[in-house]
Amino acid sequence: MRIFVIGAGQVGSTIVEALHHDHTIMVLDTELSRLSAIANRYDVATFEGDGTSQHDLAAAGIKDVDLVIACTSRDEVNLVAGMFARREAPRATTVIRTSNLEYVDLWRVGQLDVDFVVCSELETAHAISRIIGVPAARQTDVFAEGQVQIVEFDVEEGASSDVVGVPLREAKAPRDSKVAAIIRESDTLLPGGEDVIGPGDRIVVIGSPQAAKEWGALLAPGAATVQDVVIFGAGRVGGTIARVLLGQGIGVRIVEASKERALQVAEALPSARVYNATGIDPDFLERERIGQAQAAVFAMRDDAKNLYAASLAEVHGVPFTIGIAHEEVSVAAFEHAGIDVSVNPRGVTAEEIIRFAHDPRTQQVALLEGNRYEVLDVTTRDTSRYVGSKFRDMPIHGALIGAIVRNGTAIFPHGEDLLQSGDRVIVFTEAADAPRVVEAL
Amino acid sequence: MIGRRRRLAVDLPAAADLIGTLAKYLGLAALLPIAVALWYGEPFWPFLVAGAIVSGLGVVLERITPSGAAVHVGVREGFLVVSLTWLLAAAFAALPYLFAGGDQLGRPVDAYFEGMSGFTTTGATVVTDYDDLSRSIAMWRQFTQWLGGMGIIVLAVAVLPRLRVGGRQLLESELPGPEIAQLSERIRSTARRLWVLYAALTLAETLLLAALGWLGIDDRMTPYEALAHAFTTLPTGGFSTQARSVEAFSAAAQWVILLFVAVSGANFVLTYRALFRRRPGVLVRDEEFRVYIALIIVASFALVVQLWSYGIATGEEAVRTGVFQAVTIMTSTGYATADFATWPFLSLLTLFALMFVGGSAGSTSGGIKVVRHLLLGKVLRRELDQTVSPEIVVPVRLNGSPVDERTLRAIAAFILLYVGFWALGAAAIAIESAIGDVDIGALDALAISASAVGNVGPSFGITGPMGSYQPLGDVSKLTMVVLMWVGRLEIIPVAVLLTRNYWRV
Repeated sequence: MRIFVIGAGQVGSTIVEALHHDHTIMVLDTELSRLSAIANRYDVATFEGDGTSQHDLAAAGIKDVDLVIACTSRDEVNLVAGMFARREAPRATTVIRTSNLEYVDLWRVGQLDVDFVVCSELETAHAISRIIGVPAARQTDVFAEGQVQIVEFDVEEGASSDVVGVPLREAKAPRDSKVAAIIRESDTLLPGGEDVIGPGDRIVVIGSPQAAKEWGALLAPGAATVQDVVIFGAGRVGGTIARVLLGQGIGVRIVEASKERALQVAEALPSARVYNATGIDPDFLERERIGQAQAAVFAMRDDAKNLYAASLAEVHGVPFTIGIAHEEVSVAAFEHAGIDVSVNPRGVTAEEIIRFAHDPRTQQVALLEGNRYEVLDVTTRDTSRYVGSKFRDMPIHGALIGAIVRNGTAIFPHGEDLLQSGDRVIVFTEAADAPRVVEAL
Repeated sequence: MIGRRRRLAVDLPAAADLIGTLAKYLGLAALLPIAVALWYGEPFWPFLVAGAIVSGLGVVLERITPSGAAVHVGVREGFLVVSLTWLLAAAFAALPYLFAGGDQLGRPVDAYFEGMSGFTTTGATVVTDYDDLSRSIAMWRQFTQWLGGMGIIVLAVAVLPRLRVGGRQLLESELPGPEIAQLSERIRSTARRLWVLYAALTLAETLLLAALGWLGIDDRMTPYEALAHAFTTLPTGGFSTQARSVEAFSAAAQWVILLFVAVSGANFVLTYRALFRRRPGVLVRDEEFRVYIALIIVASFALVVQLWSYGIATGEEAVRTGVFQAVTIMTSTGYATADFATWPFLSLLTLFALMFVGGSAGSTSGGIKVVRHLLLGKVLRRELDQTVSPEIVVPVRLNGSPVDERTLRAIAAFILLYVGFWALGAAAIAIESAIGDVDIGALDALAISASAVGNVGPSFGITGPMGSYQPLGDVSKLTMVVLMWVGRLEIIPVAVLLTRNYWRV
C-alpha cells in the first residue's frame, strides 16, 4: 500500500515506525530537521512542503496513494490537507487527526468529507476510561465491538492464590479468558499449562469484559469499582477525560490551576465538581480529602508537574494514579516513579491511525509494551491451512488466539473447538511476526 | 483669572431633548379620558389642559435643546431620562386630579401621590369616596396604570417612528427584572411585540368580563367596568373603580381576574412564545416560572388553610379568597376580594412576606421578583460551599446556562438597596405617624413601606384594601411617592443619580 503521511512529529514518526516494513511511505513536513530524522531511521520518501498547499501535495505525488494520513498537531492544517487530498487523490482513504471534539461530531454526521477522524483527546479519554473500568489494569483495549477485552496487568504481592503461584492448568481463572503472555523482566513467555504466574510478573489477558473485571479483582483484591476520580488539569485532554468518565456515570472532581479555565470547565460540565487550585498544595489535598479518591488522572500540560503531583497524591493515599505523558520519554520516567499507568496521547493517536493501514481483513490493532507486541483482529480465509483444525493442535509460533468472533458473537475457544473459515480471530503476537500470522490465516 | 468650572459627565441637553420628545407624545394619552368625558357628558377640559401642558412642555424642551441632541443619549443619560420621565409622567397624571379632583384628590400632595401610584402600577390610593369620582377621572386613574405597566419608554420605542434610542439599557431600566430576553434581533420589534401581547391580553380580559355582564352572570360588570379592570389587571396595578375593589363583583368575575393577574405576573416574553409561537413547553421548562407557580401554590395553600381554620370563610369562598389574595399580593397587583386588613396576625404576616416576593422578570409586576430570589438562593448556597471548600468553582446557573458574575453582584446590590429603601421608608412613615397621631401600628408602617416600594398598593390597618392612605401625613405620602418611583424603576437607575461618579468626569 502507498501511504502519504502529512506531519512528521511524534504521531507521524510513530506511524512511520509501525508501517514502514510493509508499506511504501511518503512523509511531508515543513521542517527539514524532522524529515531528516525520519529519513535516517526508516526507508521512506520525505518531502519538504506545506500540507495546506495543494501544489506541495501534488508535487510530492499524493495522486496515486491509497491512504492519506494528516497528523500534524494543527487541526486546520489537517482539515485543509484532508480536503486537498480528497481532490487530488479521490480513491485514497483519508484519515485526519484533530484535537477538537466538534470536528469528530461533524464527521459523525457526515459534514466532513474525510473517511476517518481521530481525536487524540478522545482516544486518550477512552483509553483511560477502559483502564479505570478494570481495577489494577495497566493498559486495556477492546475488540469486536467491545465483546473482547485485552488487559495488561501488573501482578503484585497479595494477588489471589487462585491464579498466582500455581500452574495455569490448575489455576481457577475466570471463565472466558486466556493468559496470552507472561512478561518477566524483559522475557516474554507465551504460556502453556505448566507455567506459573508469580508476583512481579506482568501478564496480558484476553477475555470478555466481565472476565477482565474478575481478573482485576483477583490480582488486586482491595480495589473496588471506581466511582470517584480526581482529574488534575482541565485542558483539552483533562476536559475530554472528565466528559467521557461523567458519561459513564463515574463521579469526577477536577482540579485546575487557572481560574479562567476552571470556570470554563465548571460551566461546561455541570455534574463535575471543579476546584481552582494547584494539585501540589498539600492543604488543599488534605481539606478536600483528595486522598480518598479511588483514582487520580494527571492531565496537566507539563509532564514534570504531572509526575510530582502524582507522587504527592500517592503520598496522600490515592491508590491508583494515571499520568498523561505528553513526551514519549516520560512514560518510562512515570513508570519508574511508581505512577500506575501512563498514557501517551500521541502514541494512542498513532495506534488508532495505524489500524487503518493494516490488511483490509484486519479490523483492529492494538500495540502493547511499546510496540513490541500487537493484538490483531483478522478474518480467516478459507484457504488458510488452519481452517478445520482444533485449537489444541495449532502450533505456537510467537502467537496466540485469544478469541474468535463467529456470526457477530465472541467465543473464547477451548482446545477441542475448530477454527472455521470466516471467523474473526483476535490474535496476540510479537510485532515482528504480525505479517506472518496474518498471512497464515 | 481662569474659571474653574467642573466638567459635567452627563449630556444634559441630550437627556432634555429625549425627555421633551417623550413628553410631547405622552400628552396624547389625555385623548382617552377626553373621549370618556365626552361620552358621559362630563367636563373634559381638565384632561385637555393637562395634555396640552405636558405636550407643550415637551415641545419647549425640544426647541431649547439643539435639534437631534437625543442621539447622544448614552448609558449615563439613559438613567436620567428614565428617572425624570417617570417623575414627569406622575405629574401629568396628577394634573386632572388637581383641576377636578375635588376635596379628596385636589390637594397637590394627594394628586401627585395618586398620579405616581397610577403610573407605577402601585394601586395605593387616597380616594375615600368612590361615588364622588366622575367616570372620566375614575377611568383616567385606571388608564395611567395601563400605560405605566409595560412602560412608557417601551411604548414610545414601539410606536414612535422617529424615536431612535440606540441602547437597550434605556429599556432595561424600565422593564422589570435583571435582564430582558429578546423576542427579536431588534429592540424596536421586541418592544412592539411586548405591547401587542399586552394589548391583546387586555382586550381578551375586557371581552371575557364584559361577556359575564352580557350573559347576566354579573350584573355589575358593565363594559365600562370590564375595561377599567382590564386596564389595571394586566399592569398588575390594582386601582379599582369600586370602594370594595374586586369584592364588588361576582365569583365568576373574580376567577377571571385572578387568571389574568397570574398571567401578568409571569414573564411576558415566555407568554409570547407560548401563545404566538405555539410553544407552551417554554413555560414549563423555565426555572423561574416553575418557582413562580410553586410559590403561588404554597402561598395559596397557606392562606386557604388559615381562612378555613380561623372560620373566616369555607368551601369555594375560602379557596377563592385565599388564592386571590395570595396571587394579587405576590404579583404586586393589590386587588382584594376581602378586607384582609381584618384578618388575624398570622395571615397578615403571610401577606406581608408575599409583598417581598414579586412576580417574574419580564412581567409587569413589582417587588424583588422571583428570579432574583432564586439566584440569590443559589449564590448563598455557593457561599456556604465555598466556606467549606474555598477552592471550589461553582457557576450559578439559570435554566442550565451560567449566569454572569456581574449580574449576580447587581442582584445582591439590588436586594440590599431594596431592603434599605424599605427600612428607611418604614421609619419615616412610623415617625411621622407617631408624631402626628395617625393610627398606624408597627406592622402597618412596615407593610406600607413594603407595599409602596414593591408597587403592591394596599397594606394593613386603616390603609388596608378597603381603606385609604388619605389619613397619612404629607411626609409619609411623599415618602411613599419616592418609594413607588424607585420601586418601579428597580432602584438602580435612581440610585446611580445619587452618586458623585455619575455627574463628574
